[in-house]
Amino acid sequence: MVRVKSRYLLCEVNVSESRDLLLLDDRAVAGAVRSAVARMHGDYGAALCSIRLSVKYLNVHNGMVFLRFPKSCYQLLWSALPFITNIESRGQQIPCFLNCLHVGGTIRTCQKFLIRYNTQQLQRILPKCKNAAEKDQVCQEILNCLPTRGSKPTYEGGSEFEDERE
Amino acid sequence: MAVFMDLNLMFSADRTRISKLLETAAHLGFSTVAINYMFEPTLPLQEIPVPKPINELIDQLPVVQGRSRPIRVLNRLTVVVSDPSHYRPNAPEYRRFDLLAVQPTSEKLFHAACMLYDIDIICISVTEKLPFFFKRAPINGAIDRGVMFEVSYSAAIRDSTMRRYTIANAASLTDSCKGKNVILSSAAEKALELRGPYDITNLGLLFGLSDGDAKEAVSSTCRAALLHAETRKTASGIVYTARSQQEAPSDPPEGQFWCRSELSIRVSDKNVTSTCAGDTPAAKRVKTT
Repeated sequence: MVRVKSRYLLCEVNVSESRDLLLLDDRAVAGAVRSAVARMHGDYGAALCSIRLSVKYLNVHNGMVFLRFPKSCYQLLWSALPFITNIESRGQQIPCFLNCLHVGGTIRTCQKFLIRYNTQQLQRILPKCKNAAEKDQVCQEILNCLPTRGSKPTYEGGSEFEDERE
Repeated sequence: MAVFMDLNLMFSADRTRISKLLETAAHLGFSTVAINYMFEPTLPLQEIPVPKPINELIDQLPVVQGRSRPIRVLNRLTVVVSDPSHYRPNAPEYRRFDLLAVQPTSEKLFHAACMLYDIDIICISVTEKLPFFFKRAPINGAIDRGVMFEVSYSAAIRDSTMRRYTIANAASLTDSCKGKNVILSSAAEKALELRGPYDITNLGLLFGLSDGDAKEAVSSTCRAALLHAETRKTASGIVYTARSQQEAPSDPPEGQFWCRSELSIRVSDKNVTSTCAGDTPAAKRVKTT
């Protein structure tokens, strides 16, 4: 079987204020990536961007983004990502930066990584819990995350993690 | 597995800014960072800065992403040398810092920094067109001595013309040193100017580094720089002298002097049998010499 190969970058949008994340949408992120690539690599980069670049998934609660790049030129396109300093969304400039966490050949491996990563984040916030009830809730979430059987909606860990932090 | 390091976070007197920087660095997965104090002797009324103890800057060190340890914070001094008198070898002020870097501004000084100065890092200026070309001879000398070249990327993020200078200077450096002994660091003033280690690795490809060299530029080369800094403090990394607090009443200056004399003997002999000068009592130490 031959298929069209792509690379999926799992990136995290880091902002200084977490409420800015809620303004993001797919098109804004894709536009920021396109303009950064065009700025860095000129017309050639812009042309490569127009082939198969897409934003596959965006979680506005914790800023996780899946970007799809063609496999042949993903390193070139990736090298433009550090130069994104703000994303324009709904008429507002959001100062932020993209931090790449994982590069995968399929969405599935990225998803596995993301679940593991979010579990890790839960463990990180565990010592910061203020009272026992919060702590219990986080522990329960960690236990829920561990067996990734597919019966559970997969990205839930991420969104609940954000609720915990509030 | 090598851990990621960022050996250049700009110092600012603003406490919240520093703590924000450290938190972001820990979140991105940097295990070790160095806070950089710039020292430009050409500016009027400048004195060599004194590093602030880290517990004054931040209350609790954040835990590194993916590890259970808090982030390790070092101090580093960067001297911008535009005249040979600006770098003072063996200045006691330099000894307070964990890392010592210079930023030479002319070819002669670059040559001297590569071949003679007792430093760890040579900064390549990224905000202007390079006033000289890199020559193979001094660069090879620096590689032999274990001195690192540093390229910082945050200027490139800020401005388009700076980006051109950064890429041009970094590419010409990697041409001459063939990707060895290059470290990539942020020189970030704000938390939003930091980038993740994998992004920096990929950025290294723009600077002409190969895949492996680019990864080493944020991990093992940085570690080599730290080890080099330790050997600068000690004699070849073997003899280490420390002023012990208990012996203070009985003539400390003499004891200190004695330690130094032993240190020089060990270095000149190239005698690499391990000795521990720090914690043996004074009477025993006299016998061993």
